[in-house]
Amino acid sequence: MNRNLFSKEMRRNALSLMLWMITITLLISVTMSVYRTFVENQSKVLGMISLVPKGALEFKGISNLNDLLSVLGFYAANNTIYMMVLGSIFAIVLSSNILLKEEYHKTAEYLLTRPLTRSEIFFSKLAVFFLHVFLLNLVTALAGFICMKLVQKEPINVNAFLILSLYTLLLNILFGAIGLFLSTLVKRPKPITTFGIGLVLIFYFIYTLSKITESVSDIGYLSPFKYVNVDVINPAYRLDFWHLLYFTGISLLLIRFSYRLYNRKDIYT
Amino acid sequence: MSVPVIEISDLSKFYGKARGIEHVNLEIGEGEIFGFIGPNGAGKSTTIRILLNLIFPSGGSARIMGMDVIRETKKIKQVVGYVPSDASAYDSMDVHEFLSYCLRFYPVQSGTDRLEELSALFELDLKRKIAELSMGNRKKVSIVQSLLHNPKLLILDEPTTGLDPLMQAKFFQLLRSENQKGMTIFFSSHILNEVQLFCKRVAIIKEGKIIQLEDIETLRKKQLKKVYIEFGDSMNNEIFSIPGLEKIITRIGNRVSFMYSGDMNELVGLLSGREIVNLTIEEPSLEEIFMHYYK
Repeated sequence: MNRNLFSKEMRRNALSLMLWMITITLLISVTMSVYRTFVENQSKVLGMISLVPKGALEFKGISNLNDLLSVLGFYAANNTIYMMVLGSIFAIVLSSNILLKEEYHKTAEYLLTRPLTRSEIFFSKLAVFFLHVFLLNLVTALAGFICMKLVQKEPINVNAFLILSLYTLLLNILFGAIGLFLSTLVKRPKPITTFGIGLVLIFYFIYTLSKITESVSDIGYLSPFKYVNVDVINPAYRLDFWHLLYFTGISLLLIRFSYRLYNRKDIYT
Repeated sequence: MSVPVIEISDLSKFYGKARGIEHVNLEIGEGEIFGFIGPNGAGKSTTIRILLNLIFPSGGSARIMGMDVIRETKKIKQVVGYVPSDASAYDSMDVHEFLSYCLRFYPVQSGTDRLEELSALFELDLKRKIAELSMGNRKKVSIVQSLLHNPKLLILDEPTTGLDPLMQAKFFQLLRSENQKGMTIFFSSHILNEVQLFCKRVAIIKEGKIIQLEDIETLRKKQLKKVYIEFGDSMNNEIFSIPGLEKIITRIGNRVSFMYSGDMNELVGLLSGREIVNLTIEEPSLEEIFMHYYK
């Protein structure tokens, strides 16, 4: 890893990171601000929610309507979408551009003619990607935790909260690895941002469809969202070993392939 | 015998079925100013990109100062400077920030002094954002970044595009001075005048193949002459069948000019019985030679 390149990349992406942090934190804060009103009017609201199809509730990790009365259940049901979908969009946009933008911004000829190996460039940029995704998850999770503490004085199941946050982080990293891999496959120097965002939304749509339409429930297995467990109120809630293996295994494999491809890639501007 | 600064052996690059370069062989010695000429798409940039490990060859090999351009690219780039034909620096940076960023990749001691010295020479405003710079100023930034670490080999790809004549003169003066200190210069261009004035040796590349590799002077003197004849009597077709007539440039009335690579005695013998008003035999310009090879 090259420190000069790493620090330049950190600065280059800092503003975007800040904007994403602020946006997600604001969304979480707004959602959590209605929690008290929700609890105070629980009979009316739960009555309304009970009309929602079971599958749609399960899709949000609600196996029992009373789960929503717990602050962690409410948080998981209403905020996970921001952290999972928006966080994954952030990750795929960042990773798909981090190497490729040097080509379509025509700066690759400066970077690749410095005394650096392709490996040093790859790992410096990968480190920036990991740190950015980690920081986004850390800040938004902290914001979520603080919001929960502000609206609920009762103790929160920190262990379940940490597992949920880890699932989100792993999902974001997986989408980042997909973006990185796709960017190394691209022959022509053009951004693939729209494609990356589309991919996250398609996977989310597949997952949603599988949850609300029983006849196509099996297609959910195609989507990485399927392997994030948001049922935080379940006493047996834990980090599933196979899910952990799925996220880390696929991410590492994609990063490994990306590294090999980048090391042999013809760079054009 | 010293190791060539650039040594290219049987180098080829194909883009799918499309030809980039084919079986290119070149050897450039220490301290040379070497011209690499050819029109757009001839393979100049492809050759340079392989030397800098931006792209990988389909066959053959290339070495810089004895080091393989793929395996030892990091070491090579410590001693190579490069001015790309069309590259944008990071738009969000200002000039000083960009040049300092480039400089930090090298373990040079007097880099900051060099940065200031070169920026002053090219009249660069170090506080200006790269995004605000004109094409010419961007080119100046590109030139400065290539020289910051005192490279032993400088690779230039169409370096004068966008530079005004005054800056071009300063640029060439600087290059000559660096060359006198020992820097080898690989100068790729399609502007023949600057190659003619600046380079000692030249390779002409056509459709991915080196078709001529000569000293500039040898190339000029090599047989090819530009002949202009004005006949006093009517011109007959005998002159057009003389061996060595390469290309008729103009033919108006009794006047004809052509490129000739044949025996001069034969030409003079042919003309001896004719009434000649005017006869000029001159060295063609490099451009005319170039066009001859590209005919």
